[in-house]
Order: sequence, then structure tokens, then C-alpha cells
Amino acid sequence: MMNFRIGIAAFALAAAWAHPPGFSFTIGNPVASQDFHFKTAAFVFRTESCADPAKAQISATAEGIVKGARQSVALKVMAASKPGVYAVTQSWPAEGDWVVSLRGTCGSASAGAIVPMGPKGLIRESLEFFARPATDAEIDASLKALGASK
Amino acid sequence: MDEREILDHLPKVKAPDAIWTSIEAALNDHRSPARRPWLWAFASVAVLALLAVGYWSVRHRAGEWIETDSKSRTTLRIGEIGFVEIEPGTRVRVVTEQPGEHRLALAHGEIRATISAPPKLFFVDTASGTAIDLGCEYTLSDDELGLGLLHVTKGWVSFQWKGLESLVPAGASCRTHPKIGPGIPYFDDASQRLKDALENLGVEKSAEDPLEVILAEARVRDTLTLWHLLQRVPVGDRARVYDRIAFLTPVPDGVSREKALKLDPETLRLWKDELAWKW
Repeated sequence: MMNFRIGIAAFALAAAWAHPPGFSFTIGNPVASQDFHFKTAAFVFRTESCADPAKAQISATAEGIVKGARQSVALKVMAASKPGVYAVTQSWPAEGDWVVSLRGTCGSASAGAIVPMGPKGLIRESLEFFARPATDAEIDASLKALGASK
Repeated sequence: MDEREILDHLPKVKAPDAIWTSIEAALNDHRSPARRPWLWAFASVAVLALLAVGYWSVRHRAGEWIETDSKSRTTLRIGEIGFVEIEPGTRVRVVTEQPGEHRLALAHGEIRATISAPPKLFFVDTASGTAIDLGCEYTLSDDELGLGLLHVTKGWVSFQWKGLESLVPAGASCRTHPKIGPGIPYFDDASQRLKDALENLGVEKSAEDPLEVILAEARVRDTLTLWHLLQRVPVGDRARVYDRIAFLTPVPDGVSREKALKLDPETLRLWKDELAWKW
């Protein structure tokens, strides 16, 4: 019985980590957008729990380490035909380890996500979600983990 | 087709700047051409290469057959929306070549399509059905018996045969069979046991229940396979498939168990659109 309760609690915790309540992002492969314009995107994402997606403020940067040097590239976030759905195309170098930091606000709520990128696109198992923009330390830690996983 | 006809069909192709530089250099060179044979050889090869590119990228007419032998390949332009690479040992026919519909028929062999256009402008007919481009890049092969394999690298392809449809997204493949149509799509990184079980589905003498194996092996991403399976298994097995999908990922608002088990089209579409965020 105890094990069962621990299991339920762990599951709830994992679910909360994977998708915090309130304004947040859902990340997917380009096929999720159902928009042929984005078939070559690095990934797509949508906002959750934003009453007026058109008024959400979204930005993204690619954060990477190339030959030991830290780099940052501002990214263009493209809106899809469906409200609240966006795409990010790869405009960062192919060389090195890279994550994309997403930041957004919807009214007074804010959200962030770190999207680690691998040779075959986003690394779904390593996605991180926040109820605020990711900090530099969190981005650095994600880059470090990405480098260590190779 | 004689040489004159071939030339008439050649489109104008802009020569690379390097060629004119080479030719100008040769013309300005006061030395005898005989002393610089490599230059003329280079220019000749470059011009021949341009002619070849021009010839193969020419637009083919409806009704025309294109056949490659075991060593040759060619590229077919698809209007203004993309191109198709035709691999060795392939026989394909241009069925329709119009701005609103580009249609090929693959008799056998392999083609690689790269299309950048709104959905449903490019079609490939095969013995097992029709591949309908939904804005994508894919490889489609068919053997002499009509057994085929569709592998999608970008976007989506819908493969249809007599009302049966398989939706195949990037990273997934689907086998096709004459008189049966498209099989159930699977992601290429799915377990081998899941892929083998899909092959055995419907085969009576299987060592273990293929459906049981598929359900057990399915990951969240394999809900692509399960979503299709829900619509293909006998009515009595639908609940097992539904329950496995619901276990792997939350059922979205607007999708009810009752409607899903009845294969309500709007429910299935809504569920597929949501599941695609995991694919």
C-alpha cells in the first residue's frame, strides 16, 4: 500500500514537472503544427492556458557551446496559422551543443522552457519547463548535461 | 527523338559564372589551343553537364513513361512545387501534369519526392493505393509484386486505398500491399518486436498474440501506431487499444471513450491532432 502511494505521488510530481499548471508551453516535432510551411522547422510549440494567444509575447534564443566557447543566437519565432502555435527554425551553427530557451508572457503570467537539440531534432526526454524564464544557471546546466550525454 | 527535338525541349539554364570566366580566359589566350587542351576539355565537359541537367530537369508530358536501368537515375521536375528523384531500376509514368494536380504512377522501383506546396497537389499511384502529399519529403518503393514501403522524412503523407487511410508523419514508415492497401504506420525507432508484431497482425499462426505484443511494446510516441490500430482491429479489441493509448498519454478534452470506440471521425481527428504533439 505504501509503495502504491509513493508511486502515485511520484507520478503526480513527474506530471507537474512535465507540464506545470497555468500558462506554459507544449513542444512538438514539426508535424504537430499540421502546417506544411514548418516541415523543415527544428521544432514547433504552442502556448497553453493563455486566454488570448494573440497577445502572448514569445521569444527564443539558441544557447550553445562551440569548441568550449559559450554562444547565444537570437531566434525568429514564426507564428503558424493556428493561434498560439509557433515554429523555430535552426539558425544556429551545426557544430557544438545547443539548447533553445523559450520565454513567454501572457498577461501577468510567464513561462519558460529549455529545449535541448540533438542531431535528430529536439530531445524530448530532456525538455525542461518553468513558470518563468529559465535562468542562465539552468541553461548552463542543461548544456552541460547535453555535452555529457554524448 | 532526334538531336533537334531534344534541343527544342531544353530549357534555358543559367551557366555558372566559372564557365564564362574559363571561356573568356581561353579566348583571350593568344597561345595555340593545342597547347592548352585541358581548358577545352574542361569547357566541353561543363557544357555537356549543363545540357544533361537541362535535359533531365525538363518537364515531362502526361502519358510519358520514364524508366531507369540498374545503374541510372534521373530527376523529374514537378511543376513549380518540387522534384522527384527516380532511383535505378524504376519505371514510372506521368499521369497528370497540371498546376492543380501533379500525378505519377509508380509501376516498380523507388522514388524520392521533395515537395514544397500546400497539401493535395502531388499524388503517386501504386498497386497498393495512392500516396497523397500533405507537404513533405518521402521515399516510396514498390517491387514487381506491388509490395511497397513508404518512408517519410519531412511533413506528412496520406496513403489511401478504397477508403482506407494511413497517415504517415516524418520519421515513420508504412508498408503497402496490393489488394489490401496501406499497413499500419510505425516510427522507425519503434522496437523491432513491435514492427514484427505489426507484420504478423492478422496472421492466424502466430506464436504470440501480435496485438498483445504491440500494446506492450508501445511507447508514448507509438500512439501513432495505436491510433491507426484502433480503427483496424475487430470491434471487440478496440477497447484494449483505447485503454493503452489513454494509459500512455492523457485523453484530451472533446475525446470520449464511447465516441472513440465508435470511430467517430471528428473524435478521431481531434485525438490525432493532439497525439501528434507526442509524435
